[in-house]
Amino acid sequence: MSVFTRSQAEREAQLLPELAELTAHHRASSEGYDRILTSLGIAPNAPFATIADLPWLPVRMFKTHDLKSIPDDEVFKTLTSSGTTGAGASRIYLDKDAAGAQTKQLGATLQEVLGGERLPMLMVDTIGIIKNRRSFSARGAGVLGMANFGRKHTYVLDENDQPDVEAVKKFLAEYGDKPFLIFGFTFMVWLYLYEVARDHGLDLSNGILIHSGGWKKLIDRAVDNTEFRRRFKEDTGLTRIHNYYGMIEQIGTVFLEGPSGNSLYCPDFADVVIRDPETWQEQPVGKPGVIEVVSTLPRSYPGHVLLTEDLGVYNGIDDGDWPGKHFSVLGRLPKAEARGCSDTFSGAAA
Amino acid sequence: MTSLEQRFPVAEPVEVGSLLDEVRAEPSGGRLTVGDPRVVEFVTKFARKLLAPALARRYPELASLGFFLRKGELAKALSTLETSGDSLRFPRGLVFHVPPANVDTIFVYSWALSALAGNSNVVRVSSRSAGAAEAVLEALNAALDDVSPEAADVIRATQRMVTYDRSDEVSGALSLAADLRVIWGGDGSVAALRKYPLAPHARDLTFPDRSSFAVASVRGWQEATPEQRRGAAEGFYNDSYWFDQAACSSPRAVFWVGDAAGARVAGEEFRALLASVLEAKQHVTEPAMAVQKRVSAYGAAVDGLVSAISFDGNSLATLELTDATVMPREWLGAGTFANAHLASLGELVPLVLRKDQTVAQFGFTRDELVEFVTELAGRGVDRVVPFGSALTFAGVWDGYDLLAEFSRLVTVQS
Repeated sequence: MSVFTRSQAEREAQLLPELAELTAHHRASSEGYDRILTSLGIAPNAPFATIADLPWLPVRMFKTHDLKSIPDDEVFKTLTSSGTTGAGASRIYLDKDAAGAQTKQLGATLQEVLGGERLPMLMVDTIGIIKNRRSFSARGAGVLGMANFGRKHTYVLDENDQPDVEAVKKFLAEYGDKPFLIFGFTFMVWLYLYEVARDHGLDLSNGILIHSGGWKKLIDRAVDNTEFRRRFKEDTGLTRIHNYYGMIEQIGTVFLEGPSGNSLYCPDFADVVIRDPETWQEQPVGKPGVIEVVSTLPRSYPGHVLLTEDLGVYNGIDDGDWPGKHFSVLGRLPKAEARGCSDTFSGAAA
Repeated sequence: MTSLEQRFPVAEPVEVGSLLDEVRAEPSGGRLTVGDPRVVEFVTKFARKLLAPALARRYPELASLGFFLRKGELAKALSTLETSGDSLRFPRGLVFHVPPANVDTIFVYSWALSALAGNSNVVRVSSRSAGAAEAVLEALNAALDDVSPEAADVIRATQRMVTYDRSDEVSGALSLAADLRVIWGGDGSVAALRKYPLAPHARDLTFPDRSSFAVASVRGWQEATPEQRRGAAEGFYNDSYWFDQAACSSPRAVFWVGDAAGARVAGEEFRALLASVLEAKQHVTEPAMAVQKRVSAYGAAVDGLVSAISFDGNSLATLELTDATVMPREWLGAGTFANAHLASLGELVPLVLRKDQTVAQFGFTRDELVEFVTELAGRGVDRVVPFGSALTFAGVWDGYDLLAEFSRLVTVQS
């Protein structure tokens, strides 16, 4: 069952009623969310003509306020993440159903490129990242979440964060002649897998790489997505590379890079809206704007329509590897800074 | 050992001990006095540089500073220090200033008034100082070449603007040596500096976190001409948008005082005028700031503080308060105003806190304002100014007469 099947028209037809129902559900279940929409003058049961007409929340709301649509005693899991902007961590509340749904849908999304079986897996990280089960970094949570989709996990970095070339060679000797899964954060994949594989002449041609995390740390190395793909292909034989875009505030929903590369696609239960930051209207194909992510998954908290702090651009609609809109992430919005009488950074005075 | 970078007068990096020895040494031309003509000469020359059209165009806030330091203004300010009877006025001695990192001109006001009072000064200039602050330092250094040798010598001997990385040793030594320590930059800065003891006779002059609001008279608005209303919107724009509404004197809430129906009409007219001023000024709100404003506005809605949110483009957000007696005092993003109606100024009295600094007003009579302030009875509010003057620095600030604070009295009875 592929989850990359719906054309944009089908998406509007299928998702809009679901999202409108979700909006009503969150209004009924989350007083804070209802107050926001009421303040904006949006009547209960207001009709929405298109997905782009749905009211959005800035993703940072989950850093500043507890917004949830379930009673306290039904909270099964609280996810926290500290993003790179501003203080505080997002707090996302899941009940049992939501926790199950997000795992299931992430699996369905990745199945598109991994197939139905669990593959032997190379983790481009250190096992230390998931050792402490009590407090996870966002990276640890990502590694742990992804580990479910593989078996025979081998970690590329040793306990001292040094590449363990022997471990990788051993893994490849054992599993490298059939499809295997590689997971890691983009910059680590580049630093610890690409460079090691190139220097040791490792063959990764049967690998399927899933990676995420942005390009900021690779800018000074002049590596963008195109270069990343080209070099992996030329120097290691790895061609099945899928970047993905997702965030903890919409856990379980990932926008996945298509087989031909350089564009991200929406799974059938999700959509994306690129907005002009001046008018907040939807941008046409080719015009950059702020990325809004839309998903039917968030039912336990009002995170179904979120304005991110990332800039992106539509590359096309219904004309790519898979149906629907496809887009690229261009980078982060610069941080809002104000001058004022108070020093807003700590330790300024001493 | 941390060494201090000397920004004015420009010189080689120096250790804090040597710096203190230098500024505490007897100047060759004689000690500074209150209103010392050598300082007046230097400050006047410096002000003239700030008012040079090219600089004033680039940094409008420097023009205000230059205006504040013109010869006539200085004479007027210094005349308030004249003593009579048994009292004679003298400098405090050495003053250590810690200005805020992110308002580029405060350190100059603080320093200039202290220098005019005859003090030796050490000013810590933030390493993050931006364009306007750099321009100020340049002008200060250039002014040294334009004044008489006597003036240049005594300024060089007694005045220092330095930058140094966070250092207990340096902040501690400067604090202990100071006769007066002046701390701007809000509660955080005050708490950080209070860790360093002062000499027993010394004291702090602190400028903690403050907040401000605006009041507009419905009757005054109704009686105002279209030009006066437009002027109010323009003044309010300057009060609010110059420092992204984050200056302590910038209003964050607007109270319309009078009858409810009139307040609604006046508020809407004012909002439309402000939106057109923003358009005329081609005010740009960065996308990140626009998002920040929504985070704040929606957050206020979640907290139950506001009943309606309206956006006029990215530059102007108006939040109708659910309850006029609960006003937001924190910064909500550049161009975000809480709005409420009150029947009378008296209703504000119980809401005012010590933290409230400036009340920007439109359309009230002097008597109404005096009555309001009298009723406040010292609860809070340090200044009431017309729309357009909220950011105008004055020699009396946060309730302190700064020149008086920077000097001390000696009494003689024969």
